[in-house]
Amino acid sequence: MPLLSVQDLVVQFRTHDGTVHAVNGVSFDLDEGETLGLVGESGCGKSVTNLAVMRLLPQPAGHIEGGRVLFQEEDLIRLDESEMRDIRGKDIAMIFQDPMTSLNPVLTIEEQMVETIRAHKRVSKKEARARTLELLQTVGIPQPETRLRDFPHQFSGGMRQRVMIAMALALQPKLLIADEPTTALDVTIQAQVLDLLQRLAAEFGTAVILITHDLGVVAGMTKRINVMYAGYVVESATTGDLFARPRHPYTVGLLHSMPRLDAQPGEPLIPIEGTPPDLRQAPKGCPFAPRCAWRVDACWTTMPTLDPIDETAQIVTTGPKATHRIACWNPATAEEGIHAHPNRPGFTPAPPPAEAVS
Amino acid sequence: MTTPMDPSVATTPAVAQPFSATAPEARPLLEITDLKMYFPIMRGTLVSRHVGDVKAVDGVTLSVKKGETVGLVGESGCGKSTVGRTIMRLYRPTGGRIVLDGQDITYTEGAAMRAVRRRMQMIFQDPYASLNPRMTAAGIISEPMEIHKAYESGARRERVRELLSTVGLDPDYGDRYPHEFSGGQRQRIGVARSLALQPDLIVADEPISALDVSIQAQIINLLEKLQDEFGLTYLFIAHDLSVVRHISDRIAVMYLGRLVEVTTAHALYDEPLHPYTVALLSAVPIPDPVIESRRQRIILAGDVPSPSNPPAGCHFHTRCWLRTRLGNPERCVAEAPELRELGTGHAVACHFAEEVAGSPEQTLQVKGSDAAPGARGSAAAVPPGAPQTPPPSKPARN
Repeated sequence: MPLLSVQDLVVQFRTHDGTVHAVNGVSFDLDEGETLGLVGESGCGKSVTNLAVMRLLPQPAGHIEGGRVLFQEEDLIRLDESEMRDIRGKDIAMIFQDPMTSLNPVLTIEEQMVETIRAHKRVSKKEARARTLELLQTVGIPQPETRLRDFPHQFSGGMRQRVMIAMALALQPKLLIADEPTTALDVTIQAQVLDLLQRLAAEFGTAVILITHDLGVVAGMTKRINVMYAGYVVESATTGDLFARPRHPYTVGLLHSMPRLDAQPGEPLIPIEGTPPDLRQAPKGCPFAPRCAWRVDACWTTMPTLDPIDETAQIVTTGPKATHRIACWNPATAEEGIHAHPNRPGFTPAPPPAEAVS
Repeated sequence: MTTPMDPSVATTPAVAQPFSATAPEARPLLEITDLKMYFPIMRGTLVSRHVGDVKAVDGVTLSVKKGETVGLVGESGCGKSTVGRTIMRLYRPTGGRIVLDGQDITYTEGAAMRAVRRRMQMIFQDPYASLNPRMTAAGIISEPMEIHKAYESGARRERVRELLSTVGLDPDYGDRYPHEFSGGQRQRIGVARSLALQPDLIVADEPISALDVSIQAQIINLLEKLQDEFGLTYLFIAHDLSVVRHISDRIAVMYLGRLVEVTTAHALYDEPLHPYTVALLSAVPIPDPVIESRRQRIILAGDVPSPSNPPAGCHFHTRCWLRTRLGNPERCVAEAPELRELGTGHAVACHFAEEVAGSPEQTLQVKGSDAAPGARGSAAAVPPGAPQTPPPSKPARN
């Protein structure tokens, strides 16, 4: 039984402009101690998926419209708020992109960390303080005894993120959700924080969901990756498989549209044409179809399910032997994945169906 | 395309000579010499006293040839944007010289400066903040022409349509407002505006970092296409080394207000000579798990020090891995290293740059091993048209 099993999760936001279809049926499993990357552009639903897992969707707009979130075999969606509060922080912790907005600016680091620990554990203030000190030491804050009494604004961005990590790991959660934890940081500081995160997660046996748009970060940090687009998981594979044999046209496009540090001089970038879809429209067909060079007629009408590439394969959802699955009617071949365009004589992308033209 | 990469050239302790910014073959389009831009720190409520300076740019020397793209890279707060804005003369420099095509514009003011501005334009980072929300796209793009009284009004309209299609937008979109465009389209409007007066130099300050990943490549390719078409010269300022390396011919690496290394895009990755550059390169994640598992990051200790109170001597000495290895030599604290040339066109500001050449850090931690440079998708694939010259051999050290 996996630690976390998200099944057919559907999340919508009801706004003045209409309903935003943020997550349209996402399923994935996560084992204890596993590291999973969720990759995609802004608006692909990667953050919303995890806010739904934490039951922290912005209110009153955000609604979980369907699906189950099984954490240790318990459906989090059915829990009431006080039960959920027991799980947050203790069993599942989360760190965000901007630590300044997730730390309380009017409390010292000591006050907020002690409060977190004492909210979940019956320990004295003194014990909680000792634990706080130990944690700050672990995450590499210099002179933790004096920095304890500092306020968040007195820390640099990298140091604040370390404090967040210390706080997230204070109760040794089973699952840590890291939402773009290093996006706001400089690259040398990013290296420090990622290094720390990786070390501590391994040490504590914490499972990690790493949400990012940076394929470089997931390549080094995760064992398995879900690629998301417009509220769907479009490709799911072990990190090794995904980078060696990307099959979904969107994944292929992402890999070729970012310059690599080690690229050959003169290697061209192949951008993904067009723009991400407007999520206020109910999804019809594959949301990537308008930008896809591989699209066929079916893509305009029906969203394919996430199926194994090898149809006969038994589906393994977690671990190093996880099945490589894609949601695509006309996947790129391995050869096409290298050159990032369809390589079939006479093939042209299917035009949109007649009624959609107007 | 061949660059002299024989490691022996670099490892030979070259005679330290001042780095000359001027390329002998042609007069550079832009030449900045010992540029300084200090911002005063004032204290006091009634009488404000000048108590110090933020030395955002502290003696930068750099030249940009016509038609070239020079990348200026560094972490936040290193002063790279200030360099760009000072070149544009949005500030009055504290010291040094800015020469644009032979004309000294360091302290040019008024009408003379306006005439100069026609020749250099800027593209900004945030396409949401840099376009006036109350003006139409056509109004935004034609405003520079109105200010500089370029084109008759009929020709101006035609020019706007032409510019819109040049940057890949529908010419009929001219009467739309910025909020009706996506981020990528807005940045295209910003690019069109910068082209309106047919400038020679474009300073692009983080032009893609606010855009979605799948859109970034569209803008990079657009900038490259425009450069080919109009012979533009770019100063490309960004924090993302992979992007800068892709678009630039030469790269200048900046740390705390000073340049630490200037070289070709090729040599920067193949043979970085400044310990900071090596650390920066090693910290950039590469989207390839095989390579990532072989690399070992150099984790720099601590944060970037404050530019209002930078460390003495070499600004980088407080975080330098090489200094630690060499037993903390006094020279790094006592003496600020000058940019000096080590090999053709490769300048570095480090007293001990010779120690970096051929070090395990230079190869192992940047590239993961002595393996050939990676190619996308498959380890064996070499893109068609890529130079087939093998990468310079590096001594494998383990």
